[in-house]
Amino acid sequence: MAPEGARQHANWSPYDNNGGTVLAVAGENYVICASDTRMSTGYSILTRNYEKVDQMSPKTLMASAGFMADAQTLKKTLKARCKQYEFQNKKPIGCVSFAQMLSNTLYYRRFFPYYAFNIVAGLDAEGKGAVFTYDAVGSYERTNYSCQGSGQALIMPVLDNQLKTVSPLVLPAVSSATPLSEAAAIELIKDCFATAAERDIYTGDRVELWIMNADGVRKEEMPLRLD
Amino acid sequence: MFQTRSEYDRGVNTFSPEGRLFQVEYAIEAIKLGSTAIAIKTREGVVLAVEKRATSPLMDASSLEKIAEIDAHVGCAVSGLTADAWTMVEHGRAECQNHYFTYNEPMPVLSCTTSLCELAMSFAGEGEKRMSRPFGVALLVAGKDEDGYHLVHTDPSGTAVQYKAKAIGSGSEGAQTALQEEYRDDLTLKEAETLALKTLKAVMEEKVNTTNVDMARVAPAYVKYSDAAIQEIIDRL
Repeated sequence: MAPEGARQHANWSPYDNNGGTVLAVAGENYVICASDTRMSTGYSILTRNYEKVDQMSPKTLMASAGFMADAQTLKKTLKARCKQYEFQNKKPIGCVSFAQMLSNTLYYRRFFPYYAFNIVAGLDAEGKGAVFTYDAVGSYERTNYSCQGSGQALIMPVLDNQLKTVSPLVLPAVSSATPLSEAAAIELIKDCFATAAERDIYTGDRVELWIMNADGVRKEEMPLRLD
Repeated sequence: MFQTRSEYDRGVNTFSPEGRLFQVEYAIEAIKLGSTAIAIKTREGVVLAVEKRATSPLMDASSLEKIAEIDAHVGCAVSGLTADAWTMVEHGRAECQNHYFTYNEPMPVLSCTTSLCELAMSFAGEGEKRMSRPFGVALLVAGKDEDGYHLVHTDPSGTAVQYKAKAIGSGSEGAQTALQEEYRDDLTLKEAETLALKTLKAVMEEKVNTTNVDMARVAPAYVKYSDAAIQEIIDRL
């Protein structure tokens, strides 16, 4: 006979995957954070207009894929903590500090994780583009570009091919930011999303791009396949 | 004097009818019994200098520690009840490490002093960590962050004020006047070292030597001066 506990929780399933793709590319003096706006469950589209990118501080953007209830709660918590940081330290949180804070917040839930796959994009203290990519329990890495979510397997190889830069082990050190201009990077990202939308049923409807540089943040968007 | 106070000078959470908190005022008095500590801020860094009063020739002066590192970029000089100072320094250290752990950056100096002042005020709070009385110690916190150098004075009332130069302890009145006269905005670190020790020398009863003074600087990292380095400054006087 199965133990009592096992029967009680047999169909307890607290997670869902709402699909969607998020992506970020860092340049020498800009960073772009993009996502599609489709939210699905199974074969149903819940909405065609769900924005997965949020601005967390003047120099920090964050995009999450995975389970949207968890992603939303995570962002709500982090936004509150950003505000607390600002009150305590009399300055807005920088993207490097935010990245560490997100990692700690995720690891704090190591044994009942937020089912969210995050990318943080921002400008660091030198004004250089920075992308941080995470797993669900807070392991993270600073990179030049990253893609997470349902279209990851389709897009990541393209980014590897187009944006791969000199190894950090090579001497003399070469900047690890992508050599692409901002305009070229925007085109590449739009192509990536259009491509993923062809094959991935969880990516589609619309892609929004948040472009951050010394002048501030602006948004661009492009329609994607609706089917 | 004490007759008028007797009703209200016991409770740390009770104002007197004139609006005074006597226990906090007494704690501030306790600092005036402490050894003198001086801090001077320049554009190149902050210098800390303290007097170490060995009450007996049999006492090992090296065990009198009145300057402490809080983090690589923050140091402090103390005057008053040194045991209380260590509680505060330990708290500051923990807060700095916690900030680095959470945010991957050194803790801003003013955030650090704010957290020290919160601890100084904890006697008024409730709960297990509650202190039964105010801390009888004043700190001169020196630090460097992205806004530059800071010198902050904290007292038992939990007030933090930024200074260009500040003296605390038994010789503070004379020392503060001397600093006020001699301070310039364009002091070099070297000149500040000399000024700090010169001022300390003027208010000390004993002759200055490497055993009865301690010095440190934050420029931009916390460094404690060796005996040889202090001797070199003494020779400059």
